[in-house]
This record gives sequence, C-alpha cells and structure tokens, in this order.
Amino acid sequence: MSTSRQIEAQAASWLARRDAPGWLPADEAALNAWLAESTAHKVAFVRLEAAWNASSKLKALGAGFPKGVIPAPGLWRRSQFLRSRGGSAVESARAGTGPRIGSSRRRGRLALYGLAASLLVAAVVAGVWLLWPEGSVYRTAVGGLEAVPLTDGSKVTLNTETDIRVQLSPSERRVDLEHGEAFFEVAHDAKRPFVVRAGDRRVVAVGTKFSVRRDGNEVWVVVTEGKVRMENRAAQSRAAPTQSPTSSSGSASPEVVFLPAGSVAHAADAGVLVKEETAAEAEAALSWRQGYVVLHDTPIADAAAEFNRYNTRKIVIRDAEVGQIRIGGNFRSTSTDAFVRLLADGFPIRVDEREEEIVLTKK
Amino acid sequence: MDEPLEAWFAREILAHEDALVRYLRRMWSDRDEIHDLRQETYIRVYEAAGKSRPHSPKAFLFTTARHLLADRIRRERVVSIEARGDIEALDVLIDEISPEERASAHEELRTIAHAFERLPPRCREVLWLRRVEELSQKEVAARLKIREGMVEKHVAKAMRRFADALFRGRRVRSRKKSKRAIDGEDEHVDQQTD
Repeated sequence: MSTSRQIEAQAASWLARRDAPGWLPADEAALNAWLAESTAHKVAFVRLEAAWNASSKLKALGAGFPKGVIPAPGLWRRSQFLRSRGGSAVESARAGTGPRIGSSRRRGRLALYGLAASLLVAAVVAGVWLLWPEGSVYRTAVGGLEAVPLTDGSKVTLNTETDIRVQLSPSERRVDLEHGEAFFEVAHDAKRPFVVRAGDRRVVAVGTKFSVRRDGNEVWVVVTEGKVRMENRAAQSRAAPTQSPTSSSGSASPEVVFLPAGSVAHAADAGVLVKEETAAEAEAALSWRQGYVVLHDTPIADAAAEFNRYNTRKIVIRDAEVGQIRIGGNFRSTSTDAFVRLLADGFPIRVDEREEEIVLTKK
Repeated sequence: MDEPLEAWFAREILAHEDALVRYLRRMWSDRDEIHDLRQETYIRVYEAAGKSRPHSPKAFLFTTARHLLADRIRRERVVSIEARGDIEALDVLIDEISPEERASAHEELRTIAHAFERLPPRCREVLWLRRVEELSQKEVAARLKIREGMVEKHVAKAMRRFADALFRGRRVRSRKKSKRAIDGEDEHVDQQTD
C-alpha cells in the first residue's frame, strides 16, 4: 500500500467519523490538527469531502423511488434520465452517445482485435500449408511484436525485425533464426528435441522457455525456465575460444555449454560469456515481449542503440559525454519521442528532432 | 479570489481527475504509483494555488504533472513511461469534458448517477440510506443488520469508492476536436476563469 493510499484511508476515516453521531469540538480540533500537518492530508481530505458533498445530490435522483428501496444496479442506465435529451448544442451533438457508448465502443474494439487475431491465426495456418515442407517463414518489421503458435503446442514470440523459419518433423523441431530475436515456449516432447539455429550456434531444448537473439555472428540466449544446451557448430575449425567465467557443470568444453534458468549468455566469435542471474532478472531482459525496454543504470548510448532496434527514426548521439550518462526505467520501446523529451527535461541534453533522425547533443 | 481554495480546487482541478489519471497512466508503466503521482500533483497544484490561482487551471494541472514526471528522472534517475504519444503534447486534453460542458445541473446529476452506478453493492446501500434517505449511521446499521461499529468503516469505504467513480467522469469523447483544438480550448478556459 502506497503512502498516498494510506493517507486517503485516514482522510476517509476522519470524514466518516465526522459524519457519525457524537462529533465533539475536541474531535474537530484533532481533525484540524491532522489537516494542518501536511498538504498531502489536506488534499486527500478536500477530494473526498468534495465527492461526499456531491453525493447529497443523489437525493434528486431518489425522488422517484419509494422510501426504503435502493435502486438496483443498472436501473438508471436504462432510464430516460441518463439519456441526453435536447438541451444545449453540445448535448444534442452528443445525442445517442450516452455513457454506455464508451463501453460498447470498447467492446467493438475488442471484437476487432479478436477478428484480427483470428485472421492472424488463419494466415499462420495458411503459411504452414503453403510452405510445407520447406518450413514456414515468419517475419516482423521494425517495431513489430508477434506471437506465433506452432502445431506441436509450442509458442514463439517474435521481437522487432525478426526472421525465422520453422520446420517440424517427427524427429526434430527446428527453427532457423536468420535475424532478430525470438522467445520460445517449448512444449515438452523428449522424443523431438527443439533446436534453434542461430548462425554457428545451436540451442537445444526439450521443454523449456528461452530466448535467442542473433545479430550476425553474435548470439544472445536468455533462459527463464528449465535448461538448454548451446553448441557451436564450427568450433573445431577455430582457435579455442576464451573460457566462460562461470561455466556450469558439464560445460568444461566451450563447444557445449549448459545454460540453466536465469542464464544470460552472449556468444561471439571470441567465445561464450555466461552470466547467472536470478529468474526475475532474466525475465527483465525479456520485457520486450510486453513492448518495453528496461534500462537499469544503462549508459544513454546503449539505451539509444536499444531504441534504434525498434524504430526506423534513429537516435544519434553527437557528444560522447551525453552517451555516458546513465539512466534507468521502463520505456515503451516504440515511443522514442517520449524518451528523448524526458531526457531533455531531466538532463543537460539538447534534442534536435529531424525527419529521419533524432540528434542528441550537450546543452 | 474570495472563494475558498477548497471549492476552487474541487471545481477546477478535481474535475480533470479522469484526464489526469489517463495521462499519468500513459506516461508511467508502474500502475501502483499512479495514485501517488496523482496525489503528488494535487499537492503541488494546491500549494501553488494557495499563493496565487493559476489563470488556466487545466493547463497548469497538466504542466505540473509533467514537471513532476521530469523531476522523478532528475532525482532518482529512474523513470517509467508507457507513452504511446508525446509527453509534451498532452493530447489527453482533447477528449475530456471541459468545465463549461459539465456546468449544467443536468450534466452534474448524470455524472453523480453514473458514479453511483459503478459502486459495489454494500457501498451503494450505505450511500443511499445515508445520503438520500438521510438515515443516521446508527439507523443504517439497523437497516442493513450490521454492527454499529462497522457502519463507519462502510461509510469511509463508500466515500473513497464514490470519489473514485465520480472523478473518473463519464468518458464522453468528442471526436470532432482535432489535436489543433487544444490551444483554442485552453484559451477558452482562460477566458472563463479570468
């Protein structure tokens, strides 16, 4: 419970007590002392008191009701009273758009989403049929976010600018990640391993949840549930990569790394770096699934690079000093505008919004 | 200016609670903090208005909210926005009922009726018996067959729920006003409050 809610509860108690019989001058004095303590008290009280005073006007509504009868919920909603009739130009312009409309519009919108969702499923199903047996291809544009159900019961969520190919066969479930990032919720099937290929890396799971991101030869893997195995296809042909600092048991050979839940692995040509995080921290790294960029003591340069993944209009940093400022928070990944304006508000940064890019310089 | 601050605040500021909360929600992802941010905004407005009343209360309220958000970054260097739009455009102003539209008694009653409609059953009963039938808290207890000591708690709860429902407004959206209408609308408010 936040403090503001506690204060509101206290203010309500004061009002309710004052409304009860036996309110004495001493009580009044105590209330005034409480109100004088802080503006926070005062404001919470004024707000509730204003509503309470307004509620006396319910009496006008009660005129048509016999004593002792409390109107049933929804009764007024159907009554003439709540419909706009005549009156000012403003009201007649709104005739028929009574308060009920808000909810029915919302319902209409939900129905639209539903329709869109079923069309998407239809398109996905069509994709599976048309592209079989080469596999089905799923793509998202910059700023895109899409969930794709697979026929084996697994689910793939595609992040911005992602390109995958899915092939399900009786012996293997295979996904080729050409580019981008995807989160896999793998349906358990011990007989058919789920293999994600990202360039030279293979990530193998049986039934678990993890994400793979690929940018050229660099691959990032985040495991939130269960365990996956990461293999390097071309390891033999290269010099021995540097050892991971926290290799789990069974990962003595850098060609094969086991990643338990909470692992955040970064694989590049040089080798694999594994960080053991808590499950919650690993989840935070996957906040893109909700459409957020989560920053935690992150240099603005890195934050900008992250935003640029989701937007065609890129953030460009002209002063290195600006790029080094560290910030934190949760941001809607597609609202670059809001992000840079808050930077301009909170830091000595000048924002120059151009048509094709947003330039940050020192103020 | 002789008008009590409380009355001014209720009419000019609390009337925009719905729009304010929608604005904060759009900008802030942590739902738990919205209540706090709302109250903090009110505190700042109330204190400023105690010194001198702003000419355009609505614009002042939203500017205050925006500064509050900006201060949070500066101070904590942590901010959460869920801005689909533009933090400075304050496009929430487009789809709210302006005080002059609210002003008619009929409108006000409709708002109150709708707030009442949204209450949970026990709050409805308590509020109706206490405010319409004007039974004392003791009589309300007898009617609803609840312990006398409990009525006060129910009244307190009904007050909070009713305030939330009332200030949440009726959410009538005027589709006709475009974004450009914001300036004109604010000017209008200016004239009205001068």
